[in-house]
Amino acid sequence: MVSLTYSLSTVAEDDPPLKCIVSGYLKDHSTGELLIGASVIISEMRTGVVTNSYGFYSVTLPPGHYLFRFSYVGYTSQERHLVVEGNLTQNVSLEPAREELGEVVVTGDRAGQDLVAPVMSMVRISQGAIGRVPAFLGEVDLVKVIQLLPGVQSTSEGTTGFSVRGGNADQNLIILDEATVYNASHLMGFFSVFNNDAIKEVTLYKGDIPVAYGGRLSSLLDIRMRDGNARRFAATGSVGSVSSKLTLEGPLIRDRTTFLLSGRRTYADLFLPLAKNPDIRDNRLYFYDLNLKLSHQFDDNNRLFISGYAGRDIFKNQFAAMGFGNQTASLRWNHLFSKKLFFNLTLLRSEFSYELGTLEEEQNAFRWSSLLRDHAFRADITHYLSVNHTLRYGVATTHHRFFPGTVKAIGEQSVFPDYLLPEQQALEHAVYLSDEMRLSERLTLKTGIRLAFFQNIGPYTLQRYDAEYLPSGTEEFGRGEVYHTWVRPEPRLAFTWLTGAHTSVKGSYSRTAQFMMLAQNSTAGTPLDIWFPASPHVKPQLSDQLAAGWFGRSRDGGWEFSLEGYYRHFSAVTDFRDHARLILNPRLEGELRFGEGTARGLETLVRRHAGHLTGWISYTWSRVFRRIPEINGGKSYPAPFDKPHTVNVVASYDPGKRLSAALTWVYATGLPVTFPTGRAYVGNVLLPVYSGRNAYRMPDYHRMDLSLTFRGKNKPEKRWHGEWNLSVYNLYDRHNTWSINFVQDESRPEVTYAEKTYLFSVIPAISYHFKF
Amino acid sequence: MESKRSTTGEIHESTEGGRFRMDHPGRKKPGREGVPGYIMCPGGLIALLLLFFACTERIEIDTEPEFVRLVVDGALTTEAGPHQVRLSLTGDYFGGRPAPPVTGAEVSLLTAGRLLPLEETSPGVYTTASGLPGIPGENYTLRVKTASPVGGYSEFDASEALLSPVLLDSIQLGFYPDYSEEGMWEARGYFRDPPDAGWYRFLAYRNNVLITDTLTEWYVTDDLLFGGKYVNGWRVAFLQQHRPDETLSPGDTLTIRMDRISREYADFILGAQAEMRGSWPLFTGPPANVKGNVSNGAIGFFAAYPVSWASAVVPSE
Repeated sequence: MVSLTYSLSTVAEDDPPLKCIVSGYLKDHSTGELLIGASVIISEMRTGVVTNSYGFYSVTLPPGHYLFRFSYVGYTSQERHLVVEGNLTQNVSLEPAREELGEVVVTGDRAGQDLVAPVMSMVRISQGAIGRVPAFLGEVDLVKVIQLLPGVQSTSEGTTGFSVRGGNADQNLIILDEATVYNASHLMGFFSVFNNDAIKEVTLYKGDIPVAYGGRLSSLLDIRMRDGNARRFAATGSVGSVSSKLTLEGPLIRDRTTFLLSGRRTYADLFLPLAKNPDIRDNRLYFYDLNLKLSHQFDDNNRLFISGYAGRDIFKNQFAAMGFGNQTASLRWNHLFSKKLFFNLTLLRSEFSYELGTLEEEQNAFRWSSLLRDHAFRADITHYLSVNHTLRYGVATTHHRFFPGTVKAIGEQSVFPDYLLPEQQALEHAVYLSDEMRLSERLTLKTGIRLAFFQNIGPYTLQRYDAEYLPSGTEEFGRGEVYHTWVRPEPRLAFTWLTGAHTSVKGSYSRTAQFMMLAQNSTAGTPLDIWFPASPHVKPQLSDQLAAGWFGRSRDGGWEFSLEGYYRHFSAVTDFRDHARLILNPRLEGELRFGEGTARGLETLVRRHAGHLTGWISYTWSRVFRRIPEINGGKSYPAPFDKPHTVNVVASYDPGKRLSAALTWVYATGLPVTFPTGRAYVGNVLLPVYSGRNAYRMPDYHRMDLSLTFRGKNKPEKRWHGEWNLSVYNLYDRHNTWSINFVQDESRPEVTYAEKTYLFSVIPAISYHFKF
Repeated sequence: MESKRSTTGEIHESTEGGRFRMDHPGRKKPGREGVPGYIMCPGGLIALLLLFFACTERIEIDTEPEFVRLVVDGALTTEAGPHQVRLSLTGDYFGGRPAPPVTGAEVSLLTAGRLLPLEETSPGVYTTASGLPGIPGENYTLRVKTASPVGGYSEFDASEALLSPVLLDSIQLGFYPDYSEEGMWEARGYFRDPPDAGWYRFLAYRNNVLITDTLTEWYVTDDLLFGGKYVNGWRVAFLQQHRPDETLSPGDTLTIRMDRISREYADFILGAQAEMRGSWPLFTGPPANVKGNVSNGAIGFFAAYPVSWASAVVPSE
């Protein structure tokens, strides 16, 4: 008995632990940038994991000998034989497969991980895939590339507004290093606020938003800024026909502290003095962006990231001036409580504001401004229970302040009184839990729940409305008083079934809730559109999405195929009543009408990752309808972004020599539009009469863009790398319709005719990019 | 719907000699209903940007010609009359022909159990006998029976309650020499707004001839900014002196007619004015039929309202 006890205890002492943890960070070898979504495959386990947004991975295994394979698209994979006897830290630096300026490849497949992960309707794009796609006016733009993916539509010619699976443009959550960007566009939407040189990676989730995020119905666009080169100082920049950019980066303390500073300014207005019309020579019209990032690694378990963004558009002519822009700041602290418990604490601030006014020397000068400011806190934990089981949980709270509009008179002679739309405040909270488990070699299941709360808080004077949306009295609430709370549980469920070595079937259900919306009634939108919160009168919108798909890739991973279908139901979908007034309206809520909507679609994609010719072809079929009792006589009507057929072709040819080329072609059914079918003679005018809302369509949209890149000679001893880029937008001069208006003939008032406005003919652009 | 006009630029206190910038409320200028004139500042800037690129082309559009509806355009006021109702059909939007009149219809007014028939005095124009003023507080229903069905129906009706009158005490004229090329006359109205919600339409007459004769020129406002108070000089008309039909000479009489209209009629006029401004993706929402008060899918409005007049003589400079 004694000997037995003894022997048992010796066994216990000598026996290696039953579970060991292998964890670490994956980095780019040349710059030290952390790699997001890189795969770590353990051959013996026939499974693997993916690095998180901070490049971290953790695998829990029984002791033994394992072959670890670390890989990331665009990088040379590494294999390591590891003898796992206890906890092990493996930080791995991957060598970029080929150094190219601002050009990376869209990464869909990561050594099969995309097939295994119970994540669908998701696309991740690295910085330079974006640079490879021909750009409008030579201005590389990640949102324009997003719009080429199946299920994503541009809302109007040339704009960065996008609609995902039939949703509105305000149903996309756009975050830059976790901070919400409320208006992601510059210059009326022709450019996005994201300077590609400062961006590391972009991930788009269509409908099935990770449970850690919420507050928008249709998509999450998760944009991560680069950390900056940890190995050496470097500069990147470009000089183009509309803007110039410069990015500086480097280590402040080698391998511990890095910085990145990036700036962009357009100078379209520098050419205005050449204009024929003297009135516009003095106009100003430009925008700028500044990105800053500092990262510091205290030790293996503690990292700190500080990111900031500021950008603004400035317009000025002889009468008036206008400015608008976003500012975001985020502070994140990564902490490893243990090698299997990754913690991230985030503090955020985000702001969007605009102001416009007449010049101060004018009589009756005024200044009109509006502001939306968020302060937020979030804590997220990833708990790597085992190689097959991961838990994620966390909390988030945001304080929103809305200043919808203030008009102030300047100068003594003004006849305008001050005009103020009252401030509103709200708190948005969420707790979430998600559980991702590999049940068998073939089946992986992910379940999640997010509980979201939205609270309106005082001080506020609430306008009440009757059943006919007419004002019926007001109610006062004191400072800090919570006068309304909405609670919305958002369940998510997803599975993946591996049907073969290279194919899988996935399915998902997700519910999303949205508590804020944009007062935008037009397809294009302006920066004057304000965000406003859910309230006792404004119900949060809900979307339920069911999606299923088949995913496959070729044996060598060079080809990727997918076929995905979805059905969405929107409840409390919101539209504005006919002839609604949205600007400076103190009773905006009275202009809203609520109903239901449905969307369905099919998205197919064929993509080539390897070889000289890369790119994708996608076809999307989608329909979206709404039914709102007070609109269109209560009949169902196509939603504003209902485009049944869309084809995208993105091709890039790079034979590895000095010249490369890229081409895109887009085709989409014309947007639905309301045309007059008749006219009525009333009050001495010919009033248009309509058969139904969105009963007609604009002409079909199609366009081809081309870009050519000439690289300088790449000598190993030279640090300076340069390349010329020539791009042509709308290569075959298609006059795509932007709007259709009906005009009464001036000489013959009985005659009315249709006139279309198109924005762009062929637009060539040239730019020079450099790096040293 | 109530807050159709916003405050700024519309304050009624006198601004003698002051120069100000504002669009006439009902002009066919681009802009949004109820939006102060300065909204067009950003509009102008945005337009400037688009002018770099934008071009227009005339295009052909096929619409459904079989879509035909009855159009009713008529009113009953507190004056002696005769009062007119015009019936027509919607025409093909691109047809370029005048609206076809609806002849041979049976038209009558129903009030307090009485039936007042209207007589067709010219094709499509139906007229009451004279000496029959509308009575405040009464409900009036217009009944139309067409000779053949229109849009699937041959009977239509429209009801309005005639509100109690509000007296326009007086108007005063003011001149702004710096506004527009030749200056601008404005008329300010003085009246007591009753405590209940109210909507007004103002029409301008020069020497007893209606100047603001089209819907797009009518000035319609609610009482959001002066509800229940004595209105001490609200701007109700703007006459730009470079426009021949609005020119005032010393000795001319300018007359303002104030109609106390229903909310539904105000909505109809403001909606129609918005429709007439056209649509631009950046600024305007989707177009929609303007909601009238005639049943069975007919377009238009039969209105009933009390009217009140005030005049002023244009002084010599």
